[in-house]
Amino acid sequence: MAGATQTELVSRDTSGTDAVAAVAVAISALLFGLSIVALADLVPITGSVAGVPTVSLLGTLLVLLGGTVMAFGVGSRLEAVSTTPDTTAGLVAGVAAGGLWLVVGSGIGSLLIGGLGAAVLGVLVGAVAFAATVLPREDLGSTVPIGAFPVLTGLVFLTGTLGPEWVFDLGWEQGASLTAAFVIPVATLFSAMVAGWAAAKAYGGFGARGRHLGAYTLVYLNALSIVAFLFVLVAFTVVKGVPGLLTGAQFGPGVGPSTTLGLFGVELSVRLPFSVPFVMNGVALLNDYQGVLPAIVGTVWLVVGAVLFAVPLGVGAAVFLTEYAERGRFTQAVEVATNGLWSTPSIVFGLFGFAFLVPRFGNGKSLLSGMITLGFMLLPLVLITSREAMLSVPDEYRDASAALGVNRWQTVRSVVLPAALPGVVTGVILGVGRIAGETAPILLTMAGGTFVPGGQTVDVIGGFEFTASPPFVANPELLQATSALPYQLFALITAGVGLGENVANADEFRWATALVLLVVVLSFYAIGIATRYYFRRKLRYE
Amino acid sequence: MSDTSQTRQTSEIGESAETAATTTTTIGESDERVREEWRDHEFAGRAKLSVEDLNVYYGDDHALKDVSIDIPERSVTALIGPSGCGKSTFLRSLNRMNDRVSSARIEGSVRLDDEEIYQEGVNLVELRKRVGMVFQSPNPFPKSIRDNISYGPRKHGDLETGLLANLLGRSDEDERDQLVERCLRDAALWGEVNDRLDDNALGLSGGQQQRLCIARCLSVDPEVILMDEPASALDPIATAKIEDLIDDLSEEYTVVIVTHNMQQAARISDQTAVFLTGGELVEYDGTDKIFEDPESQRVEEYISGKFG
Repeated sequence: MAGATQTELVSRDTSGTDAVAAVAVAISALLFGLSIVALADLVPITGSVAGVPTVSLLGTLLVLLGGTVMAFGVGSRLEAVSTTPDTTAGLVAGVAAGGLWLVVGSGIGSLLIGGLGAAVLGVLVGAVAFAATVLPREDLGSTVPIGAFPVLTGLVFLTGTLGPEWVFDLGWEQGASLTAAFVIPVATLFSAMVAGWAAAKAYGGFGARGRHLGAYTLVYLNALSIVAFLFVLVAFTVVKGVPGLLTGAQFGPGVGPSTTLGLFGVELSVRLPFSVPFVMNGVALLNDYQGVLPAIVGTVWLVVGAVLFAVPLGVGAAVFLTEYAERGRFTQAVEVATNGLWSTPSIVFGLFGFAFLVPRFGNGKSLLSGMITLGFMLLPLVLITSREAMLSVPDEYRDASAALGVNRWQTVRSVVLPAALPGVVTGVILGVGRIAGETAPILLTMAGGTFVPGGQTVDVIGGFEFTASPPFVANPELLQATSALPYQLFALITAGVGLGENVANADEFRWATALVLLVVVLSFYAIGIATRYYFRRKLRYE
Repeated sequence: MSDTSQTRQTSEIGESAETAATTTTTIGESDERVREEWRDHEFAGRAKLSVEDLNVYYGDDHALKDVSIDIPERSVTALIGPSGCGKSTFLRSLNRMNDRVSSARIEGSVRLDDEEIYQEGVNLVELRKRVGMVFQSPNPFPKSIRDNISYGPRKHGDLETGLLANLLGRSDEDERDQLVERCLRDAALWGEVNDRLDDNALGLSGGQQQRLCIARCLSVDPEVILMDEPASALDPIATAKIEDLIDDLSEEYTVVIVTHNMQQAARISDQTAVFLTGGELVEYDGTDKIFEDPESQRVEEYISGKFG
């Protein structure tokens, strides 16, 4: 049977053994999830889950996982389990197992012996693992050396060698150290990944199908980790930010500030049924609770202004480049300039705004300067993505339109632009994500004080004034310095200024600011996605 | 229509057969000689398009060489030949679509109703309204069926619809609906789509999309319809529908069709022009004549499948 490549067309019933391998895959998925939430501080390493200390739970699961994988491999080698393994696990698996154990070996060596001995031990262990992977038949080679790794990790957790209070002082002059809160989830994550790979191979019965499933599991986990990183980031911010956000918040009828609703001439004054001072107040000496309302409004107007400035310019330039200009030196020059503009550091944009725009708009930092500076930053991305979107509109549409005698501009307006809109919107979404978080340009062009009192919240719409003499319309609000969330956060963290005695917990205040910024950016993102979805629906036949 | 065209066809064949009997002595004479003969040949119908010494270059590539041909009105003219022989290039030069290729250079003369289309001051909008085109792969716009058809007339200002027209009280919605219905009926599509005119055209099948493209082409009242392998991307049933449609259209319109499919050319066309490699028009005559008794040895070999 060794090296047999012949398999039955219809495999025998293997549901029992499949279930064992499936349990292993499930445990690795569970561990993967657990380590992610542990990284996000949602499950405390020092605490316990359902009465079991977290570290012990992780350790037990790891030992169970590694044991199952190894047992499955051994069982398969003893022909107790029906599989179709190749003669060897292959070079890739060998290098992976060898590298893994080389790191483990040298790690243990440096703790026990140190110096050259550590390296020798590492190479030795790695070589043994490599041989143990490559030399035996695939079912043994791809399970035992890999499965031994989570077993070891689990034992380290269970024996308390690496307990919740563990700290590893690196002994460097920076005084850096690794703590259990970070090392344990990361080690679990990594062990779960490699063991999941081996378990998936076992589930596929080794051979070609097993390798396919193994590779599938790995790439699936890669994709999953992208989502996981976003989840960790958002969850971390939410967990840290919610207490600050809800400081002094009240819910119930009649607790909120009163608002006037005007409808058909009937004005109705209502008191909102909630009061969240953090997003409803500015900073003032006498406030019970301080808030960041001016910064929220500033950020929103900043993004709206930058988009209104950059989108028409960028889309217009893209239309010229794709539909009108002959490919030549000029279009190349525009292309190079666009890419250069996109790579320009934001602080340089900020400096430009500070030196060029600020003196020209009332000689003071202002919302308008900030809008235009960020608009300049957004411009290249809008141009690049719009251009790509228009290039991907099939030429057949243009031909069909031309054959009907429709001229070029009408074709662009009625056929090309609608078809390119989803792509343009994608570009704007990406750009807004970037500019909404920019701090440096705001610092130089827009920010007034670190903290803006609630009374200075910009009111762009209400700020328009009509005059009898030129320029007929004016908006002093646009020329007023204001704040924005990223800048406020920066000031809170680095300068640490401006927090009065009214803020009980400065840390909570910072995290709440970060949370609000995240929510504002994600809201813009959601608006963009909805717009794109709408235009796509219109273009397709659903 | 088929009656008249049949008679015309027979008389043509009679004529050309006579000419052949008197002048052709040996098979395999030079193509030049053959060409001299059919150049003098007169078709029954009035020439809608007459092309003289047309040369097209793409950069240094001489794609079309000295093509001269008269295309009679209200008939179907098929252009056949192997790939890369210049038949599509020829088709596209009849409504100046080659102008859209920046490397293309065109010499010679094409007259539409005795008016030169390659001269200063030709209004391309008007030309392309009169000489419409249907492309190889169906290319409806990603819009509703109704908007696809009314697109041309709306852009030309012949139809006013939309918010502003409504506000000003001069919306042409009735005219538009009549136009949409007429074009779809003419393109034999009305019965299949009349209950979903607001659906996106991309939801139609390939054959329906192609008939929609023909309907769209009819919406600007063309006199000539150029078709560039209109059925090559379609299955046999859809192809049969398009062929029936072309037959109907030739009662009212002058149809010029490029095809790779010789049976198709034989089935639907009144006269056939054969282009062979190198951008030369080798023979042009009544379809029956071309397929039964071509003058040129090379055309005979091509038709009988010996090359190409």
